[in-house]
Amino acid sequence: MSETRPITATRTGRAAISARNISRDFEAGQETIRVLHGIDLDVCPGELTYLVGESGSGKTTLISIMCGILWPTEGSVEVFGTDIYGLTDDDLVDFRLQNIGFIFQQYNLIPAIDAASNAAVPLIAQGMDRRKARAKAAEMLDALNIADQADKLPNQLSGGQQQRVAIARALVHEPRLVVCDEPTAALDAKSGRRVMDLLRDVALAEDRSVIIVTHDNRIFDLADRILVLEDGRITHDGTDVPDDH
Amino acid sequence: MANPFKNLSFSRQILPALAVLGLIVAAAFISGTLPNRELTEPEREPPRATGDLANSARIAGSGVVEPSSEVIAIGTALSGLVTDLLVQPGDFVSQGQPLFTVDTRAIRSQLAEANSAIAEAQAAISEARTAQTTAIRQLDLYRNVSDPAAVSRAEVIRAEGDAMAAGERLNLARARLGAAQARASSIQTELGRATVRAPMAGQILSVDIRPGEFLSTGGGGSQNIIEMGETRPLHIRIDVDEEQAPRVDLGAPAIVSPRGAAENQVSASFVRAEPVVVPKRQLTNTAAERVDVRVLQIIYALPDSARENFRVGQQVDAFIPATGDEG
Amino acid sequence: MNWIAIRMLTGDAQKFYGLLFGIAFSTLLITQQLTVFVNLIERGASGVYNEPTADVWVMDEVSRTTDVNFPMPSTALDSVRGVEGVEWAVPHLRANASVRTREGDLEGVTVIGVDDATLIGLPARMAEGSADVLSQPDTVIIDDVGVGNLFEAGQSPIGVRLELNDQRAVIRGVADAIPSFTSQVSLYTKYSQALQYVPGTRNRLSFILVSAADGITPQQLADRIQADTGLRARTRDQFARDGVDFIIENTGIPINFGITVVLGFIVGVAIVGLTFSLFIRDNIKQFGALKAIGVRNGKIRGMVATQAGMVGLIGYALGLLGTVGFIWGNSGSAFFKGFYIPWEVPLISLVAMIVIITITGWLALRGVMKTEPAAVFR
Repeated sequence: MSETRPITATRTGRAAISARNISRDFEAGQETIRVLHGIDLDVCPGELTYLVGESGSGKTTLISIMCGILWPTEGSVEVFGTDIYGLTDDDLVDFRLQNIGFIFQQYNLIPAIDAASNAAVPLIAQGMDRRKARAKAAEMLDALNIADQADKLPNQLSGGQQQRVAIARALVHEPRLVVCDEPTAALDAKSGRRVMDLLRDVALAEDRSVIIVTHDNRIFDLADRILVLEDGRITHDGTDVPDDH
Repeated sequence: MANPFKNLSFSRQILPALAVLGLIVAAAFISGTLPNRELTEPEREPPRATGDLANSARIAGSGVVEPSSEVIAIGTALSGLVTDLLVQPGDFVSQGQPLFTVDTRAIRSQLAEANSAIAEAQAAISEARTAQTTAIRQLDLYRNVSDPAAVSRAEVIRAEGDAMAAGERLNLARARLGAAQARASSIQTELGRATVRAPMAGQILSVDIRPGEFLSTGGGGSQNIIEMGETRPLHIRIDVDEEQAPRVDLGAPAIVSPRGAAENQVSASFVRAEPVVVPKRQLTNTAAERVDVRVLQIIYALPDSARENFRVGQQVDAFIPATGDEG
Repeated sequence: MNWIAIRMLTGDAQKFYGLLFGIAFSTLLITQQLTVFVNLIERGASGVYNEPTADVWVMDEVSRTTDVNFPMPSTALDSVRGVEGVEWAVPHLRANASVRTREGDLEGVTVIGVDDATLIGLPARMAEGSADVLSQPDTVIIDDVGVGNLFEAGQSPIGVRLELNDQRAVIRGVADAIPSFTSQVSLYTKYSQALQYVPGTRNRLSFILVSAADGITPQQLADRIQADTGLRARTRDQFARDGVDFIIENTGIPINFGITVVLGFIVGVAIVGLTFSLFIRDNIKQFGALKAIGVRNGKIRGMVATQAGMVGLIGYALGLLGTVGFIWGNSGSAFFKGFYIPWEVPLISLVAMIVIITITGWLALRGVMKTEPAAVFR
């Protein structure tokens, strides 16, 4: 790994996410460890943005801050024009519920309810009627080609099917920002590409951003933009990855 | 989800429903088996003070019903077998009415003896009178003979003696007659005593003799042959604990009821209070009597209308007004 | 969201039934033991509750309960009758005696003499025969528990002759009464008859049963009787309470049952607390995901509360049903005769359950609340 100079990954024009001077410290015993060092970053709508980095590079921390589930030590984040860390706790939670879809690496489906209900969780949390929410979720599952699995429990589904349910859950309430953590880590190359194709087809839209946190180099070629994070600093911003990576 | 019963879940639907049902059953069981500790009214009426006395100062006492004359135990003056019984319990008798008689045969034979003695005395009187007449006439004869030689002096003296003796015999016979008559009269009286009569008007309360039974005059009156008393009106003798006695409102009527029939309450008017405080006599039927308590006895008269519910000797519960100045 | 919480709860049958068992078991333990305890010590008041008519019991100053009494002179009755506000007053005798059965056994009995004229003092109901049999000479009425103690099963007590203080006593009826604490045989007879059955001293009058007139409360009347006569007067409730207190003070029962109830509570907290926090820990990732997706903390709390409430409701109902079944199933036996579940007991165990559930739910929730939503990315 070579020494690289940190860069500013800002863009001009309308940004989906606009992070300024983000720093984050963690307490480790008596010491304070700075994980992020004053990151400036813009994410544009309509783009599939990769956040790439080694374990411990701070990419998980950065993505958490950008989607409003982790408070930064310094700096501010605007998502679609809203300063999310200026909101109260509950308002921030509601903001996430309305605007952000999450796809977790381990899917984190609720094992006790079936696929359609799992996919419908954001709608139900928004207060939608249970039956309507399930119907809408079923449409989404249909779009993901697993309509026939709607009534099955998560442990009756294969890994790929579970992931599709997780994707359905992330998209069912039509968020403007989708955050995706290592979507292909558990999949073989072929499945991984299929998932990425799917994401690109279903998730990406004119006014919607998709951020994918990954270090799977097999899918780098599908990105619109790749940001490389090293030791808490962005070291690369482009459409491909530098060779030494 | 079309058929709600298809997806009926035991743990999510049936079990909570069962739980709610169970709670209802348990609540019903619990409320249904709670012990009934409500107070109830007694089935039989206990004696209670009513009317004005219910909530005012009063004294409770118990007593017995007795005749207004108190009970008179009739005895006999003569011993002997009962030959005739003329009354029954419950009879009303007037003064002097015969109640019973004892055997009079022995007395009657004595009377016959006395009568013959009278006859004998009368016979002796006439015999003595005859002898006296004869003697007097002979004496007159001798006196009228002027010839002293015709009648010796000795003859005259003997005739005088005869006449005097005859007079004495007449006196003796007369005395004997008087004695016999007196005896007959006394036997006659005895005969009257064999019939026992009512000493006063009243009601026969009990009769403890039957014809043929032997009555004796001894025994200190322990034998109540016939009891009677004036039951018009009835009196009630109420015992009041000596501690309570000073509070009694003497002169006020009392509320009394027969024991066991407390609903038959009547108002009894005051008659008098006994001047003597006596040991409590009327007790709770136990053999071991206790006399450490003294009671004031107060007499009340029952109204005539209550006669049917009260009998002589019956126990009663009474409530007497108290002078309200205490407590 | 709450239906999801319920699905999560019932999704793991093992833990769900473990939780139910824990709650049900400790509910059963607490409710059943409290019930038995209350009923047992209330046996101390059975003598009072068996008498259905008297508002106030009057006794010698030193008498404490129906069974621990010191007799009064018979004139006390008239003194009490003379007190203002007394509707009626009747004598009542309670004394211990020994009875010789036909088989020659010796049995301690309580002879209860009721008022001759009104029969006040008898229990409200008769199990066999009628109260009128007391008008026949030498009659006693036995209580139904006494039948079990004195006779073999199936043997009818009616017509049996007993010997009491060298006197003949013929059983002619069976009263339906709550047994005393010692389950001693009770023989009801007329007051005058009881005097003969109980060898005794000059004073025999154990109690005077008094009813208050309209317009005066039993308490006022008791105070007035006490002031006017110098005798001890207790209202029915007070005297029942005296009997209960006597048992509490003189036996180890409260401690024993208290220990069991506390144990039930601890077992409940332990089982339920452990299982519930294990259950929450297993689901902590799901809760984290829900928090990240955008479920407010209040709703999460609501979900945990729903889970706790459902487990609590079902478990409590099962435990209560168990107690009801226990009491119902044993209602035939003499020991449990007259047992009932006081309505306070289920409430107490309900409160105990709520405390258990709240403690464990709060502990579990603390784990959920502490979970950072960011943890889902790790």
